[in-house]
Amino acid sequence: MKCNFGSMRKGSLKHLSAAAILVAAGFATPAMASGDKVDPQFVYNSALAATCASCHGTNGVSVADARVPWINTLTPKEMAKAMLEYKNGTRNGTIMPQLAKGYTDEQIEIIAQVLGKK
Amino acid sequence: MNRRLFLGQSAALIGTTAGMNKLALASKKTKAHVVVVGAGYGGATTAKYLRMLSNEGIAVTLVEPNGEFISCPLSNLVIGGSEQMSAITTPYDGLPSKYGIKMVKGRVDKVDPNKKTVTINDGTTLSYDKLVLAPGIDMNFDAIEGLTQANRDGVTLQAWKAGPETVALRKQLVDMPDGGVFALAIPLAPYRCPPGPYERACQVANYLKKNKPKSKIIVVDANPDVSSKGKLFKQAWSDMYDGFIEYRPAHRVTAVDAKTKTIKFEFEEDLKANVLNILPPMRAGNIVRDTGLANMNDRWAEVRFLDFASTQSKDIHIVGDSIQTAPNMPKSGHMANQHAKVVAAAIVAEVNDFPVNPQPVVTNTCYSFVNDSDVVHVASVHQYVPDQATFIPVKGAGGLSPEPNQLEGVYAWGWAKNIWADSVA
Repeated sequence: MKCNFGSMRKGSLKHLSAAAILVAAGFATPAMASGDKVDPQFVYNSALAATCASCHGTNGVSVADARVPWINTLTPKEMAKAMLEYKNGTRNGTIMPQLAKGYTDEQIEIIAQVLGKK
Repeated sequence: MNRRLFLGQSAALIGTTAGMNKLALASKKTKAHVVVVGAGYGGATTAKYLRMLSNEGIAVTLVEPNGEFISCPLSNLVIGGSEQMSAITTPYDGLPSKYGIKMVKGRVDKVDPNKKTVTINDGTTLSYDKLVLAPGIDMNFDAIEGLTQANRDGVTLQAWKAGPETVALRKQLVDMPDGGVFALAIPLAPYRCPPGPYERACQVANYLKKNKPKSKIIVVDANPDVSSKGKLFKQAWSDMYDGFIEYRPAHRVTAVDAKTKTIKFEFEEDLKANVLNILPPMRAGNIVRDTGLANMNDRWAEVRFLDFASTQSKDIHIVGDSIQTAPNMPKSGHMANQHAKVVAAAIVAEVNDFPVNPQPVVTNTCYSFVNDSDVVHVASVHQYVPDQATFIPVKGAGGLSPEPNQLEGVYAWGWAKNIWADSVA
């Protein structure tokens, strides 16, 4: 059931058509029938990770010509590490050091699990 | 996704749900039906995330008068001339085709909270289980004497809702003789997009410097000082636009004389200009006020921040610029997109009969162009604090750019493309 978000990153998205990405990103894969009941953790965690989508794209997948750093290439471990480094000041950036400080470590871990490459 | 099924169910819902008080529809075979009013950063995002977070378990109808989405963020670049309208316009096609959202073109003229219906300007009535209002702001032209007629006649323009007035203001700037004065009047905060007027001053000055060097922009601001990114904007004005921007704080416009193109103030001397870009005081979208939901000074709508439910009427939620904001929460497109995810998750929780997320979080990111390519940002993160029942900016998080820079100019466009896709495509 949790395939609605964050389950589509097998292989490079750059080689998929926009339509294929959207189908993969948004909706039912064979494992999930549309209309299956959702559970609280899926909804809470997806909504938390969606705070990133405003800059990094829905499900953490940038549109093709958006020149912000693409995050969908990172594993959950790499993503959490980068966020924690931004947060503790050991990684430089423009806006991310300021935004990362706003999240708890636990929230960063959840975001990384939802958006990180599986 | 079985769109045919969804559309069929949604049509049936319209006939059967009026008068039902609970969202217990889920127990039957019909889906809960949410009507969203306004397809901007707040409304379109709400519609999309309702579908995603419910795994298509909620039927969503999105009502919007415009045929395509025109972004307010970056519209100042069209006025300055470095971009065209096409660069800030996105079609709505993806919302129905990819997400199964039923889009209705029209303006909602009436909400009946008791019958739980909305009436569209063509007379159609839609029933809802939950209503989300995201109309953005409307302008209070009547607050300034002579402004309603002057703006109707195009003598003054607001160009704050991006669209035809953006194009018209660009034309007035281009048509202005060299040596002319462009007047930009800013209302008291809160208004939509705090840094927007100061970015506009940069964009107009950038055009004047290159094309009409004997001209200037005079910014008359009702506020005591620049409301956002003040140090950065003032630095840019002195470094880049010396002699092109004159800033007059604490100037509250009281009247406009369309015949002589003169702005009058509470105390200060009149200002005559060639182009009059007057931003009136702003307030919640008319449908929010007309429904009796703008309970804060008949201006903004009070909401419960955990789920953005109106405090005035059951089963109505309000997101985006229409709300009375939490402390230091700006009225921005980015913030509306973030509200949308909180309200969508909360409605999905309610429909599925589990508790709403007790600690949601929202962020704000705002980029302003000081010329064609250099940008300054302001950012913040707002965590919900249960004890205070509101969002509070996290101390030590957020902040500003150290100075205008081109890298963030690149990021600003990346942000725009991704948030447009996240919201409306």
